[in-house]
Amino acid sequence: MKPAICLEGVSKKYDQIVALRDASFTVSKGEVFGIVGPSGAGKSTILRIVDLLEAPTEGKLLIDGQYVVANSVRAEAVRRKIGMVLQKPVVLNRSVANNLGYSLMIRGWNEDRIAEVVDAELRRLGLNGRRKTNARNLSGGEMQRLCFARAAIHDPSILLLDEFAANLDPTNVALLENQVQEFIRKDPNRTVVIVTHNMFQAKRMCTRIALIWDGEIVEIADRKKFFESPDDARTAAFVGGESIY
Amino acid sequence: MSSSGVIEVANCYIREPSLCSKKHIGVNMKGIWIAVAAIVVAAVVVGGAAGYVLMTEDDEVESLRLATTTSTYDSGLLDYILPVFENETNCKIDVIAVGSGQAIELGKNGDVDVLLVHSPAAEKDFVAAGYGESRTLVMYNNFVIVGPSADPLNTENAKNASEAFQKIYDNGTAGLAKFVSRADNSGTHSKELTVWSTLGYNKTLVAAFPSSWYIQSGQGMGAVLDMCEELDAYTLSDDATYYQRMDENIIPHLNMTYSGDSALFNQYSVIPVNSTIHAHVNHTLAAAFKNWLVSEAGQDLIASYEKYGHQLFFPNATPQTARVASLLIDESMDVGEGVTRGWNSFRVLRWTDSFPFHAVH
Amino acid sequence: MISTGSELLDVTLLSLYVSGMATILGSAIGIPLGALIGLKEFGGKGAVKTLTYTLYGFPPVLSGLVVYYVFSRAGPLGDLGILFTPTAMIIAETFLVIPLVTGITITSVVEVDRSIKDTVKALGASSSQSIVTVMREAWVGLVMACMIGFGRVIAEVGAAYLVGGNIDGETRVLTTAIMLETRMGHFEWAMSLGIVLLSVALMVFLFLRLLQEREML
Repeated sequence: MKPAICLEGVSKKYDQIVALRDASFTVSKGEVFGIVGPSGAGKSTILRIVDLLEAPTEGKLLIDGQYVVANSVRAEAVRRKIGMVLQKPVVLNRSVANNLGYSLMIRGWNEDRIAEVVDAELRRLGLNGRRKTNARNLSGGEMQRLCFARAAIHDPSILLLDEFAANLDPTNVALLENQVQEFIRKDPNRTVVIVTHNMFQAKRMCTRIALIWDGEIVEIADRKKFFESPDDARTAAFVGGESIY
Repeated sequence: MSSSGVIEVANCYIREPSLCSKKHIGVNMKGIWIAVAAIVVAAVVVGGAAGYVLMTEDDEVESLRLATTTSTYDSGLLDYILPVFENETNCKIDVIAVGSGQAIELGKNGDVDVLLVHSPAAEKDFVAAGYGESRTLVMYNNFVIVGPSADPLNTENAKNASEAFQKIYDNGTAGLAKFVSRADNSGTHSKELTVWSTLGYNKTLVAAFPSSWYIQSGQGMGAVLDMCEELDAYTLSDDATYYQRMDENIIPHLNMTYSGDSALFNQYSVIPVNSTIHAHVNHTLAAAFKNWLVSEAGQDLIASYEKYGHQLFFPNATPQTARVASLLIDESMDVGEGVTRGWNSFRVLRWTDSFPFHAVH
Repeated sequence: MISTGSELLDVTLLSLYVSGMATILGSAIGIPLGALIGLKEFGGKGAVKTLTYTLYGFPPVLSGLVVYYVFSRAGPLGDLGILFTPTAMIIAETFLVIPLVTGITITSVVEVDRSIKDTVKALGASSSQSIVTVMREAWVGLVMACMIGFGRVIAEVGAAYLVGGNIDGETRVLTTAIMLETRMGHFEWAMSLGIVLLSVALMVFLFLRLLQEREML
């Protein structure tokens, strides 16, 4: 089976600053892949490249085995199979319902189907009573759950989560993690990439984890190996909590 | 983005509001507001257009575009005489009241059919260059010297306009009087320069008069009179604007301190735009208008116009008045235009030959 | 001179018609143009923006002169014969609206947060869809652009006088009527007309404010 995501020697420079150096890894379908590392290590850069929001300075990106270049016409089509949630919840200045429906509307779904799917999702989120509220009036946790639902509502085959539960209270973190689990359970071929600095979250959710340090991938290992017997000393230190800064 | 991209954007805009159906997601407020916006915009546009159509519903009648100076329009003369011509010939006259210079420019470009202006030198150039078909004298009004009601300079007893100006100059340079000039290349301004030139001050010298007493305002006549009222200054004004300001008690501290010199006559002429240069102009109607203005009926009508208790315009195209007045006018013009212009002004008289009653001198 | 109520109504309606049409046309051109300039990357973008902002200062009389020369009988489009008609006034005033609306649109869409633009893209919007969405997020600014454009032309006199000619019953609008009355020394009457103009503007602005304040659900 073709891998969902494949990076081959990807580097990214902003002016003279190297954000990512020669990153190569593969994420198979059905995997929940974690990317951990200190702030500024280049985790978000990887997600932005995978979501084709930015073109790598060097290297290649393959989605579902196909080579894609950011800003190409095909990139728009490929991006439609991907969902992404940013750390800071960003809602559009419109109702909760229309925020949810936005992903479907831009994909050209017909109105009745949109209404049906949005309706079901609103009930699941427990936001049915506030469907007409402007999404900007939701609480931080509600907003982030809405953003997650909006990114996942069109059943993307790849879901990218960038610190999706940072700065939230434990209840909302749990609710969000449940939403992710539910998403994975629905279809075993779905791929999720989670960027986090929260070791416990990575341990709870990911099947395989990469440590990125100063723009370089230090180690990629299955969950058990990553947490119990990592090859690299930096991984051991990071997992042990000594280097979290 | 290409033009097709723009269309795409437009399409998206249309598509987006239809995102949610009412029964599932709630009332589509945006749709309502767009509808309200559309209704109001439509109301404004339709209302405006309807008003416009109402205003122009008589468009089937032939129309004549007349460029004229603000003085003839603002004095109310045109509102008094034009309806008579419009009724007689079943036409409509669109009056464009602008500065003399602008009126002549509109004629040059063929944007109007006929001119009624008072800038003799520019008119002659206009006709000589072929833009105007002929220049026919119609009427004149008077320029007067206006100053503080007490007339501290005693201009009232001046022998002529030049002497009055000399008094203003002497007292002005001595810091005892002020003068406000239009300084806007208007007909009034050129008349003022003509008087200064009799004292040996050409345009450049006048422009260099110190601003301590000689104020170059760049304003219209009414505004200049208002300034004089504030500054206790003298100025040269057309009598119509002066009477109007007096009548409405806008300038209670001013008075007409000198008038009567033929050098201060202000000659108006009618000039149909040359249809060989601008084929589209309504030459027939323009010629008819010219002939009507100088006809006995037209001239009598002009003479009968009174406002603020005074006759404002004096017809001088008919044989009774034209001979004397036009001679006076052209003499007075020559004062300002210099000896070299003498021949030109003589030729002007010959151009008006087309008018049967006008004698050639 | 305006002496009857129906004349005043005609003049007021013509003012609304001319300014309204100029605002609609100017916005129809300026808003998409501003969105493209603001959101697309292209060479010389800085220069285009500077030019747009410079044109804020475009003198109305100059716009009138340009339109005059184009539609004068001696000009390239003289045969259309639209000089001294409301159409010519609308064209001249549209040119005054376009830079303002374009410039304010540029600023409004640029001001929309980077994270919103990223999110919209990440949610799968095509390039044109994201432009539309960003424009909608910039709604308040876009309505403001129309308001400022309308404000400029309803109050403008130079271009209206030059290409309209202030013909009684044909092209006389509130501002040229005010100018005429002022010239004749009828200051009180001119002020009354000014109050009429402001009342008309108030109606339009009230409506636009309402449109602006609505949260676009």
